[in-house]
Amino acid sequence: MTTHAPATRAPAPRTEPVRPRAAGRAPAEPRPLVGWLFIAPNLLGVLLFTFIPLASVVALSFTEWNLVSGFEGIEFVGLDNFWFVLQDPTFWRSLLITIAYAGVAVPLTLVVGLALSMALNRDLPGRGLLRACFFIPYIVNIVAIGMTWMMLLDPSAGLLNQFLGSFGLEALPGWFASSRWALPALILVTIWAQAGYACLIYLSALQDAPEQLYEAARIDGAGRWTTFRTITWPALLPSTIFLLITLFVGISQSFGMIALITNGGPGASTTTLSFYMYQTSFQFYRFGYASAVGLVTFLGIFVLMLAMWRAQRGRALHD
Amino acid sequence: MTIPPLPPPPRDRRQRHRTHERAHGLTLNRRQFGGLLGAAGTAALSGCASQDSSTDLDTLQVWGGVPAEDGPQQVVDHFMDEHPEYDVKYTRFVNDERGNLALNTALQGGVDIDVFFTYSTEDLAMRSGSGMAADVAALVRQEPELEPFLDTEEPKALFDGEAITALATTKEPNFVLFNEDLREEAGIELPTDWDLEEYLEVIHALAGSGRYGTYRLPDLPRIELGPNYWYTDQGTSNFDHPAFLRHLDLSADLIREGVIFPWSQVLARQIEAYQQNNFIAEDFAIWETAPFSLRFLSDPEEYPHDFLVACAPMPTINGADWNSGMYGNFIQINAKSPKQELAWEFAKYWILEGSEDMAPGGKIPTLDTVDHDLLIDAILGEDKETFFDVDSFRRTLFDNDPKLHVDTDLTAVAEITQTYEQQRDVCWLLERSPTSAIEAVHANADALIARFGED
Repeated sequence: MTTHAPATRAPAPRTEPVRPRAAGRAPAEPRPLVGWLFIAPNLLGVLLFTFIPLASVVALSFTEWNLVSGFEGIEFVGLDNFWFVLQDPTFWRSLLITIAYAGVAVPLTLVVGLALSMALNRDLPGRGLLRACFFIPYIVNIVAIGMTWMMLLDPSAGLLNQFLGSFGLEALPGWFASSRWALPALILVTIWAQAGYACLIYLSALQDAPEQLYEAARIDGAGRWTTFRTITWPALLPSTIFLLITLFVGISQSFGMIALITNGGPGASTTTLSFYMYQTSFQFYRFGYASAVGLVTFLGIFVLMLAMWRAQRGRALHD
Repeated sequence: MTIPPLPPPPRDRRQRHRTHERAHGLTLNRRQFGGLLGAAGTAALSGCASQDSSTDLDTLQVWGGVPAEDGPQQVVDHFMDEHPEYDVKYTRFVNDERGNLALNTALQGGVDIDVFFTYSTEDLAMRSGSGMAADVAALVRQEPELEPFLDTEEPKALFDGEAITALATTKEPNFVLFNEDLREEAGIELPTDWDLEEYLEVIHALAGSGRYGTYRLPDLPRIELGPNYWYTDQGTSNFDHPAFLRHLDLSADLIREGVIFPWSQVLARQIEAYQQNNFIAEDFAIWETAPFSLRFLSDPEEYPHDFLVACAPMPTINGADWNSGMYGNFIQINAKSPKQELAWEFAKYWILEGSEDMAPGGKIPTLDTVDHDLLIDAILGEDKETFFDVDSFRRTLFDNDPKLHVDTDLTAVAEITQTYEQQRDVCWLLERSPTSAIEAVHANADALIARFGED
């Protein structure tokens, strides 16, 4: 008879519970000081010029402060500034103007940029020169843009009104000197200045579109519209979303052109939120209130951008 | 030979980190690093807030917007001649939005500034309202020569109850300039005393043939109502006073008739700051302006013209004769300055004795302390007879003694200015009726006063 000794198992080595690491996250290795030193200049810059001002805006939004009274003049007012923001007709009017400005200028810039890129993606003579010409407005100094368009859109001596007048039109637009036309004129200038940038981004996306899909579409006898809808547009979607977000953020925060050409007027017809913030802080010295306006604006734009980003997920060609 | 066993690997992250630290030298964990960043931020902020470590009690720091060579340096030099024990340094800031922001930032940052000048009503409201300026009322009362500054009917100082926080150092009267060629051509006599009706007749007579009568109407409500004209005695909005509606209404009518310069061109070409170009170009025949504009008219190189310019007083309205100009160039003493006595000595010197040094720069002193001929020479330039009817200027500026003002109720003045200008613009563009424009101003002004009235 054999007796079997009861099988004894060596105790399994005790292991630390392993927390699954998020994909793409770097291993949690300790960082030597030398690494910090390399990034220190940049980090210090970001800290001083981004994080501290950002934190200051958040802190100031709960205060009343006019700068001149010094740090000891900062008075904590709780949520009063936010309460005033909600009741402030100028804030709501500026919000509407901002939405109208960016809401019209951004889609039109995309349409013009897309049309230009489709045209300039063909094998045209002088294509490189044409591409440069359409991109130039994007890099031209904003002061030059403003002065040029002010002359072009002068209600009496401007080229555009003289041109329109040559057709016998009498009630010509006042452009920047009209509370009704100033915003459309500003949108026109913005599209002119930004379309070249959109065109450039679209051109690079068009050149990345997979040629074999176009070939397959041709073989299958797909028409132009079907090809655009099923191949080109999905290929352009990531660029469109990128442009939509960056242009919306950029245009809704536009300040230089407004300050230079219209100074927020006539009346308050071109007072966007960013310009209203500038007026409230640097003309009226209400820094606490301006911070609250800035914070509310930031949250609004952030939520909008997040929504746009989520809406586009899974719709691009490569997804 | 036995190899000693390796120490077991550290079991937790913190321990692994410490081992790694020993192997590679000093490292920082996130918390330590965050602490360092916080400390750096705090240091940066406190650095901003404490720049006054270099205060020199024998050196007076004066900040003003007039270039040093146009008079302030002479005032400083003469003061130091009389007070050799002290040193005075004059720093010029550009008197625009950015320059004033620089001064405000310097004041709040504790930069060594003892005396500073304020030029606009908006800045005056903010600096005085923030407690930046010292109360000099008691000091003014001690000086018999400064008694005019205690006048509250025709104020020359900024009063806040009993306190005085700013003293005007100059007079800046408005007047009406005539293009003499066009006046003579129209057969109009140069007015020496006229009312609004006569003024309107003149601009109608001068308008025509592609030329406008004037750039715009004088500030009629100011002429009628004087100081603090935007506020009632109770401190509420005064924009429901008929004078304001009449001003917008009359101006809109005259723009429509082509008698005054079209506001659409003013806005489209941003002419407001360059009115002199259109006067020189004879786009309009008369121009309501102030002494600072005269330098353009005596500069044949930059502003060539071949007509003589004469000066007439501002029109009166039903006997009301406030000039739309004001006392200006306010001197203020930094309330935080440790050199209050010296600062006051200097401020007093500037007002009483510095005027003569400032006169060549065209500054007419608040107190009548400088010979009028000297001032006329300074304001009209060397070739005054070539460009100006000198007697008309002497009569208007000095013999008539224009009735100037200082606004002392400055509640939400920057915001009310903006709301008024916005509505004025759309009204004068003929896109909004004067009635609805002034109603909007009145409602906004009342809301702003209610909100900021306790500041």
